[in-house]
Amino acid sequence: MSTLTLRAAPPERLDFLAINPLALSRLSQAEAERLEVGTTRRGVRLGDCFSVSLDGSDTLTIEGGHERLDRVGAALSEGAIRITGDVGQRLGAGMAGGRLTVTGHAGPYAASGATGGTIIIEGDAGDHAGGAVYAAKAGLDGATLIIRGSAGAHLGDRMRRGIILAGRAGAFAGSRMIAGTIAALAVGDHPGYGMRRGTLVVGAHGRMSPTFVETGAHDLVFLRLLARSLKGLSAEHADLLGRPLRRYSGDLATIAKGEIWVAS
Amino acid sequence: MAAWVKGGATDADTAIEAAASLLAKARAPVIAGLSADVAAIRAAYDLAGRIGASIDTAGAAATYAELGSLSRIGAMTTTPAEAVGRADAVLVVGAAPWRSQLMKRLSALKPSRGRAAGSDRALLALGAGSEGAAATLACPAEGGLPEAIAELRAYGRGHLAGDTPRAKLAGLLADAQFGVLLYDPAEIGELGVDMLQGLAMELSETTRCFTLAIAGPDQDRAVVPVAAWLTGQAPRSGFGRRVPEHDPWRFDVARQVAAGEVDAVLWLAALPVPRPGWLASVPSVGLVAEAEANVADVVIAVGRPGRDLGGVLWNEQRAALTYWPASAPSERPSAASVLSALRDRLAEGRAASRSEPAC
Repeated sequence: MSTLTLRAAPPERLDFLAINPLALSRLSQAEAERLEVGTTRRGVRLGDCFSVSLDGSDTLTIEGGHERLDRVGAALSEGAIRITGDVGQRLGAGMAGGRLTVTGHAGPYAASGATGGTIIIEGDAGDHAGGAVYAAKAGLDGATLIIRGSAGAHLGDRMRRGIILAGRAGAFAGSRMIAGTIAALAVGDHPGYGMRRGTLVVGAHGRMSPTFVETGAHDLVFLRLLARSLKGLSAEHADLLGRPLRRYSGDLATIAKGEIWVAS
Repeated sequence: MAAWVKGGATDADTAIEAAASLLAKARAPVIAGLSADVAAIRAAYDLAGRIGASIDTAGAAATYAELGSLSRIGAMTTTPAEAVGRADAVLVVGAAPWRSQLMKRLSALKPSRGRAAGSDRALLALGAGSEGAAATLACPAEGGLPEAIAELRAYGRGHLAGDTPRAKLAGLLADAQFGVLLYDPAEIGELGVDMLQGLAMELSETTRCFTLAIAGPDQDRAVVPVAAWLTGQAPRSGFGRRVPEHDPWRFDVARQVAAGEVDAVLWLAALPVPRPGWLASVPSVGLVAEAEANVADVVIAVGRPGRDLGGVLWNEQRAALTYWPASAPSERPSAASVLSALRDRLAEGRAASRSEPAC
């Protein structure tokens, strides 16, 4: 297992796009230490802030995260990265496969545009987790994002496919969703704002927009299949589907093929 | 030329020297505000590119609410002149547009061109609060403006039906010959703009309906095209890694200051804009027209384009960049010339190497 150990708080935001197990396995210790990770005009090399220990394996541990570490695990295609601590924006952005685990909190835009793999945030996530960055076509796009703590506003904004599980989420969860599934124990105001398709399963919600209409209680085979697939990821979220569910259809401002299931 | 360093009056060369040394030793300088004429905006991007600074504008919240929606679904827009000349129904979204100059013209004049020429203009209000007293029909927005716009759009599509005030509002827009949706992007946010554009596009399938955003006191409408032609990107770009990187979250200067990521700010306000609170908490250089000694650590008074000297500015009425001659010419230097002087000073000395050990 390769390890990067943070020695001191980074003096500027660092870009970890190029730091993944596959890339590091091809480098010598000295080459890895010389990798540019800084983002300002001064710049920082990996060895300036981290003690580097490489063994060529497909697992990388970052000991001691920091909220200035951007794009950790971005574009990861295989292997695993574990971060003990916090990370900055765009955790696992554009990731295609592999496994990312963060023991602390993540900044905004976690898992944006991620097409495969699993991202687990044990703390909280910032705004736009699983959401689209500026001018991107979609947010989460096939990966699985699990947030054990709470998520900020705009969870899964414009997500295209994949699954997001969150403890609590802020306002506008699932806004402008194109498709996909979000399950949260509680969400804030206006869940599903402007959603086209997709499924939200929530334990509680804030203000529901008048553009969602209640379409009754249902017992669908789909819900039992969804519960079974969620069970492996989070028993708490799968249990939501075992409770009586009311279905809301919307957003009527758009093509209205989305649905919000509210557990009572 | 009026200039101050740490509150003490000084001459131009000393102030420029002090500004250059403040910027030269910074790790992550930011050029913010950009409320100036096109020449100064160009000079600001040139300076940022040479010293590896990042850029943020005074009206970025509104600008990115607009651009975020534009990049996703496009936009159906019109100009103030077309709205005044042709619109027989104007839906004013929120409270801010009621305070704009354009509202006075829309209230005072009737449509004079096109299919609606000669007819009365209906002024419709959605969530105007206490501002919309002049409206023909006013609807409150208890659940917030984005929700109110979404409901209006659902009525417009026929997905909701009923005899509510919002249904009536949607009906009036559908029956209008030339509808205009007037809004302030900062007030309704990106989600609201997105929904409003969708409403305009759907109404335009059967009649004519366009959106019109009112501009703030800043010059962001000038910065957006200048940034696009200089960098190919929207305003919030950083040059720390030599190439322009666009990142609206990372280069939000208020966030950067709060996170302690910035160690020098050049505040460019040749046209007056409200001074942000964070400016006092970071070493700063101010290039301002309405100069006071305590605006920043180093203050240089520059000419106000359109008053002290000529310059190309955003013309809200014509919805274009136009040249404004000096109305009261003075000897004050242009912001562009001060920025060029700074660039020449900073280009003389070697910029800090990107590979020095940092921590």
